[in-house]
Amino acid sequence: MTAPALGDIRACFEGAIPAVVATCDAAGTPNVAYISQVYYVDERHVALSFQFFNKTRQNILANPHATVLLLHPLTARFYRLRIRYLRTETGGALFEGMKAQLAGIASHTGMEGVFRLLGSDVYEVEEVEEVEAVAGHALPAPPARAVTLGAVRRISERLVRCTALDEALAAVLSGLGELLGVRHAMVMMLDAATQRLYTVASAGYATSGVGSEIAVGAGLIGVAARERSPVRIGYMTSAYLYSHAQRSSLQAQVPDVERLTDIPYPGLAEPHSQLAVPIASARRLLGVLFVESPDELRFGFEDEDALVAIAGHLGAAIELMQAVEEAAEAPAATGRPPAARGAPLLVRHFPSNDSVFVNDRYLIKGVAGAILHKLLRDHLGQGRTEFSNRELRLDASLRLPDISDNLEARLLLLQRRLAEHGPDLRIEKTGRGRFRLALQRPVQLVSVGSAE
Amino acid sequence: MIDRGVSVIVGSRDAQLRPSVMRAVGSRVGPADGEITVYLSRPQSRRVLQDIAANGHLAVVFSEPSTHRSVQLKAGAASLRSAGADDQPRLASYLASMEREIQLVGFAPELTRAMLACRLEDVVAVSFRPELAFDQTPGPRAGAALGGAA
Repeated sequence: MTAPALGDIRACFEGAIPAVVATCDAAGTPNVAYISQVYYVDERHVALSFQFFNKTRQNILANPHATVLLLHPLTARFYRLRIRYLRTETGGALFEGMKAQLAGIASHTGMEGVFRLLGSDVYEVEEVEEVEAVAGHALPAPPARAVTLGAVRRISERLVRCTALDEALAAVLSGLGELLGVRHAMVMMLDAATQRLYTVASAGYATSGVGSEIAVGAGLIGVAARERSPVRIGYMTSAYLYSHAQRSSLQAQVPDVERLTDIPYPGLAEPHSQLAVPIASARRLLGVLFVESPDELRFGFEDEDALVAIAGHLGAAIELMQAVEEAAEAPAATGRPPAARGAPLLVRHFPSNDSVFVNDRYLIKGVAGAILHKLLRDHLGQGRTEFSNRELRLDASLRLPDISDNLEARLLLLQRRLAEHGPDLRIEKTGRGRFRLALQRPVQLVSVGSAE
Repeated sequence: MIDRGVSVIVGSRDAQLRPSVMRAVGSRVGPADGEITVYLSRPQSRRVLQDIAANGHLAVVFSEPSTHRSVQLKAGAASLRSAGADDQPRLASYLASMEREIQLVGFAPELTRAMLACRLEDVVAVSFRPELAFDQTPGPRAGAALGGAA
């Protein structure tokens, strides 16, 4: 019988059934302990959660040999891993991934507040043994989820047909829903200057939440961004709920103006499964692809594999589109727009944070707010309605964080916030790297507390 | 807890102090006073049984899945014998108890039956007198020695 590879038994590492670890002290006394987490690191390594200074901990520091007993949660087959302790990690992607998973396990098993990850003990796997099954008693193995690879392929095919960011985001979100049955998903993009992530697209929520923000490092999405590593939870845990995080940050003395400009986070109030995957390209973090579900253990290793592959395609597509957009930009077309009629819209702009209010309703802030201010200023001053991405990029007053900033994502954010606000003030794409400011009513622009 | 039938895991180690481990398919208090017996399925527990036969060292954790209440017993000597027809009722009542216990934490009896499947002719009874007992319930107190024998 050939020994299985670690990758073949990843279902054993989901934490559904607690594993057992046997160790032995220097004097030769064995010890057996339940362990909340045996975490798949790679094909040759696993990590065990270090939560207490217990006998297991003492033993592996004195004698690095340990044996883990795992039970496959579906087939009820046993597997034994002979492992050797290497090191303990107390920060970084592995630690954060385990910490998030442990929070879910702790909450699921009524151990919230008891389980706390002190470190990730990394072991080399010396042997994987499939324990002999008793004839006629093994449960059937679940069918292989070949559908996942097919779904990745189809989403990839849809992505390569896209020529603009909004199309790419729609291809991913609709593909996840249609091909992988993911009902709730969102894409957040990174604002590198403020180290915040803003929602540009979502699916399956009561409100789109476009424009809502999360700090890098906050909650599951923020941790995935900070560590640039997927983070996955299979059970609900208050430790990673944004409602919880937001309450905490509000308590932490946030000025009223900040509260006015908060767009509510759209996510599920009680997610039981969550998976956040960083979107990156050329080593640069671009954003995070996030999916969630009200069901427990909804996302397994295969889903994580699929999402990492999809996020990779998306990251490459976003970068390519930006490069093509730069190359293809042409001077703005001219044309006579229909004259705006009716009562003027009062647009107030606060230069301190570039927040914009339209008829006293908050619209947007930050770079997208600065862009809208520039467009309206040029429209009122010069009568312009046609603009190009290129001129925005070259406009120093916009304080675009850097040349690699995803301007397309800012424009998409602004376009969607305007569309959600009403029909009177919109921006429309007119070609690659070009767009039009469409006004159905005249605008009165007021800068408040301006230093200009 | 030991007689009622909760999760039982048995560990030992070889001469190089490399640990071995397997889940037991049954447990009982007795047969002699102060003795405890755990049952292991030989084809699934070869190393553990070899190690116990070689050096007598074993560690056994009894744990109630629904409450995590756990106790660990240790001994430096044990006797092994093949299980016989007399042991069959013990194994059957253990299985019934475990089906209930594991159902409490959300797994169907089919999983428990597959997990504990064994042939009577393959079962080995391991009897020992606990020399040390520890509270193993997860938390900061895990590992604390218990006052008397369990």
